[in-house]
Amino acid sequence: MRRTVLVCCGTGCLASGSIEVAEALQKELAPDVIIHGVEDACFVKKTGCNGFCENGPIVRIMPDDISYYKVRAKDASAIAKSLETNEPVLRLLYRTGGKAVLSQRENPFYSPQIKIALRNIGEIDPADINDYISRGGYTALKQALGMEPQDIIAQVEASGLRGRGGAGFPTGTKWRYAAGYEPTPKYVIANGDEGDPGAFMDRSILEGDPHSVIEGMAICAIAIGSSTGFLYIRDEYSLALANIEKAIQDAEDAGFLGESIIGSSKSLKLSIVRGGGAFVCGESTALMASIEGRVGEPRAKYIRSVQRGIWDLPTVLNNVETFANIPVIIRDGAENFAKLGTEKSKGTKVFALVGKVKRTGLVEIPMGVTLRHLIFDIGGGVIDDMPFKAVQTGGPSGGVIPENMLDLPVDFDTLTEYGAMMGSGGMIVMDSTNCMVEVARYYTAFLADESCGRCTPCREGLRQMLMILTDICEGRGREGDIELLEEIGSTLVDASLCALGKSAPNPVLTTIRYFRSEYEAHIRDKVCEAGVCPELASFAVDPVKCTGCTLCELTCPVGAVSGKQKEIYTIDSKVCITCGACRQACRFDAVVAIPRRR
Amino acid sequence: MVITIDGIECECEYGEFLRDIATRCEIEIPALCNHGGLPGQGCCRVCIVEVEIKGWKTVVASCIYPVEQECIVYTNSDKIKRQRAMVLSLMRARAPASKEIELLCSKFGASRNERFIEQEGEKCILCGLCAKTCESIGSGAISTINRGINKDVSTPYDEPSEACLGCGACSEICPTSAIEMEEQGSLRKIWGKAFDLVSCEVCGKPYATTQELDRNAKVLGEPASRLCDVCRRKAIADVLAKTFGS
Ligand SMILES: Cc1cc2nc3c(=O)[nH]c(=O)nc-3n(C[C@H](O)[C@H](O)[C@H](O)COP(=O)(O)O)c2cc1C
Ligand code: SF4
Ligand code: FES
Ligand code: FES
Repeated sequence: MRRTVLVCCGTGCLASGSIEVAEALQKELAPDVIIHGVEDACFVKKTGCNGFCENGPIVRIMPDDISYYKVRAKDASAIAKSLETNEPVLRLLYRTGGKAVLSQRENPFYSPQIKIALRNIGEIDPADINDYISRGGYTALKQALGMEPQDIIAQVEASGLRGRGGAGFPTGTKWRYAAGYEPTPKYVIANGDEGDPGAFMDRSILEGDPHSVIEGMAICAIAIGSSTGFLYIRDEYSLALANIEKAIQDAEDAGFLGESIIGSSKSLKLSIVRGGGAFVCGESTALMASIEGRVGEPRAKYIRSVQRGIWDLPTVLNNVETFANIPVIIRDGAENFAKLGTEKSKGTKVFALVGKVKRTGLVEIPMGVTLRHLIFDIGGGVIDDMPFKAVQTGGPSGGVIPENMLDLPVDFDTLTEYGAMMGSGGMIVMDSTNCMVEVARYYTAFLADESCGRCTPCREGLRQMLMILTDICEGRGREGDIELLEEIGSTLVDASLCALGKSAPNPVLTTIRYFRSEYEAHIRDKVCEAGVCPELASFAVDPVKCTGCTLCELTCPVGAVSGKQKEIYTIDSKVCITCGACRQACRFDAVVAIPRRR
Repeated sequence: MVITIDGIECECEYGEFLRDIATRCEIEIPALCNHGGLPGQGCCRVCIVEVEIKGWKTVVASCIYPVEQECIVYTNSDKIKRQRAMVLSLMRARAPASKEIELLCSKFGASRNERFIEQEGEKCILCGLCAKTCESIGSGAISTINRGINKDVSTPYDEPSEACLGCGACSEICPTSAIEMEEQGSLRKIWGKAFDLVSCEVCGKPYATTQELDRNAKVLGEPASRLCDVCRRKAIADVLAKTFGS
């Protein structure tokens, strides 16, 4: 039987050696052609990211739909043999609840997912335009060429699609505005800057299905009357850059881009611009300044980019994931898309589920499913079954949501209402060993460094907030600090120049809103219950985990650890300076933080 | 078009900046980073006001907010007073050495917040006007560097800049007198570089740097005047008087 062996070659699997796996498989399967002839031979295909990178490299056998995880090059012969014998390689299957599963459809990480933006990723070879075409690619573009621009826009409006880059602005409305302004030329820009450190959905799309973004941009260009576009892509994304560059070339050669698209009077020239390397460069006006060759700093948006964007001309800027949804909306109809999701948030959203959760990775689910479903059913719950504490959503300037709100539906408006936000779709799960004040301090420090630093509230406000939070974490918190943080925060929300400053207080304001007592414990009792802030916690040895290896005793710079080899060690809290050296050194996680009482 | 600012009806054109309209109607809104000749920087945020359109209130920077429809503006609502005071307190911690900021703080009820860390001796509020001015003169000798809380204004690599003409325009435009310009006899020091000053042929007062005059000559395509501003104006007046006068 003719089979395709799909080897995941996304950034994650490449890092765990998938190229070697692909080469080994190729070598094993090469004689196949001679034995069975081209018609019946098995072929190896390199795909984009399957989203479950921690279990990579992932190999999938089609059409059998068997997925293997953590595959090594040495497993190639076993896999090749299984293709002959039709007996799956049991040891490489995913196990859940003691049961091994063959198909991704039986894997709890994948089974609840509905893939629209990620529809082709893992299925096709991103370097082969014919693979994209064979799955219905570029049919939407052909359809769009036969439509009136306002009908294309009406379809996008009817789909209810909202921007996936953070703010959730209705995409159709944006296009309609841009189409309505007189001046030309107009521009189409894809935002692939992805500055949120934990997120990788845009990278995955650019790497694994670049043509879907190109097709989406081309449809937008036809709708608004533009013939020039840019893809602004984060500089570190080398594989994404390479794949999108090839895809543009191939699309031009095939007549989907360039002069006279598919023989029509429309044209579109796309160029790649490498990102400026700062988080703030992902903000729309900063991004446009950066493409223009100026410093990537935001401007006030009292006049919107759809009217005066890049070079003061009408511009549509959409996120990579937003564009990837467009071909499906045009091809399968707006109603089909709008069937998924909630009343005001239609379709699906890709999330990067990370942190203290058992199954981490990229997950595409319909809008409106609960956080609980996402974290506990798909993610499998908290690592080591520790108590769940909070989930941080929306990237560095998102907010935290506590346990009693796990049944909230995940959509733009609900998350915003509760002080968090959809943002790029980052979801970081936190357990009882995460200190909420430290979490707020961490993000505030990131934003204080990454803001452009132009406007007073953002620059000076974050400076003072960071100082106060650091004081609280280090035991110098004072009465009134919480209220002062709230007052500075509310000024940033209203008075900052751009959305970075306006959203920057979210981590602080939500942790105060939901975990105020934790702040109070730090300030009044000088206690960090989570045992994270060294000045406010002490360390102890967990007698169950300690093996008596002596490493802690040897590491402690002040001789606070005592005990005998092969027996349980103890830490003298009066001597301990809570430097954390023993905790770092211990190979058995036996040194645990406990609240420090004074 | 007519808009209402603090209860006063103000006539205005479509697209005019809100603060310009207010100023014309003698309603005072503070401003630090907005200077007549240059495009508004929109970064100091002391000029914030509340704008109400169809019942929706938003806080905007009035110096760069273009009025495009009828609205009600509040320059001194409780919210604005509170937030403006916070912005000023933050600014004061940033530039505790600036007398100008101290004055503005007392005028708008912004107390010194002892909880804030202060940058001792600092006067600069990073409004960016100096760099903008230098750029618009065509020198580009100074610019803002770094981002976030590490932002600063400086010459490239903090070294004396080749491009600097010593004209002192940056020092003049600075709203907080943060750029030091020292003059001793016919020597001027600014941005770590010393400049020879040329003296006026009439009154003998040093009035410009050699580099500045050379640049002017190049731009104008004729030798620069050897007189200071005051004497040059007087000389022109004299010529006019001789030609047309009694
Ligand atoms: C500080 C900041 C960083 C941002 N970074 C990104 C980014 O990396 N990628 C992105 O698509 N949008 C980012 N955005 C949102 C963009 O400004 C813009 O809203 C979006 O690209 C518009 O596309 P959409 O409507 O399809 O979401 C950022 C916004 C802010 C304020
Ligand atoms: S809010 Fe922050 S990032 Fe945005 S313009 Fe102001 S300083 Fe720059
Ligand atoms: S790179 Fe293979 S699963 Fe992500
Ligand atoms: S004067 Fe308006 S922001 Fe500075």
